[in-house]
Amino acid sequence: MLLSEDSLTINNLADNFQMSRPAVSKHIKILHNAGFISIEDIGRERYCTLKKDGFQELQAWLSYFDQFWASKLKKLETLLNKKLPN
Amino acid sequence: MAKVIKHQFFFPHPVETVWQYLTESELMEQWLMKNNFQPIVGFDFQFRTGPIPSLDFDGIFYCKVLEIVPFKKLSYSWKSGPGEGEITLDSVVVWQLQSTDKGTEVFLEHKGFAKKENLNFYNGLTQGWIEKLNKIADLLNAAENGNTNA
Repeated sequence: MLLSEDSLTINNLADNFQMSRPAVSKHIKILHNAGFISIEDIGRERYCTLKKDGFQELQAWLSYFDQFWASKLKKLETLLNKKLPN
Repeated sequence: MAKVIKHQFFFPHPVETVWQYLTESELMEQWLMKNNFQPIVGFDFQFRTGPIPSLDFDGIFYCKVLEIVPFKKLSYSWKSGPGEGEITLDSVVVWQLQSTDKGTEVFLEHKGFAKKENLNFYNGLTQGWIEKLNKIADLLNAAENGNTNA
């Protein structure tokens, strides 16, 4: 969440956690590989910025499919009940 | 946010009937989407619907039958993208059926969500992110419902 407002260096980020700098670095690397953070070298520091696209699109899909299946199953129920009344 | 979309549904009908509606192309079309499904493991098929530009979706779900256990389990891969064969969303749909005295219990799981550029998606997630994501989703939903014509 620290990155949602600003870009920070790995050192800045590490100051906010109880973890060691290498541990923070490792987490950053995972998020970077996953496409959620972009890293830019400026001078001797590495700046991290949150990439929002990846998050938003996948989350939008998840919400979409959740509703999608709920409505499709409802439709199947109606269809079955109409076709095969008890 | 759930990694897996799960739905459980009870149908007061025999498992054989429900299975038919899950595995016969014409019957599937009546409640799901137009498709060229065939119940053969390894068979590539498509579901076709309207495109959703905001989701980078050209209207075709590219699927492959992964598993069939008659009257019990059916699964297929479920991929989509913006067009020209490009895949940006990769997932799996699993149906499981359970016969009961009064009908059929259906368990649906839609899972394994991954986008091409972030297949490690879930490895990097923590609770803090999840709460934010839910908020984002609500906002997106509100925005999409407001101006959707897909």
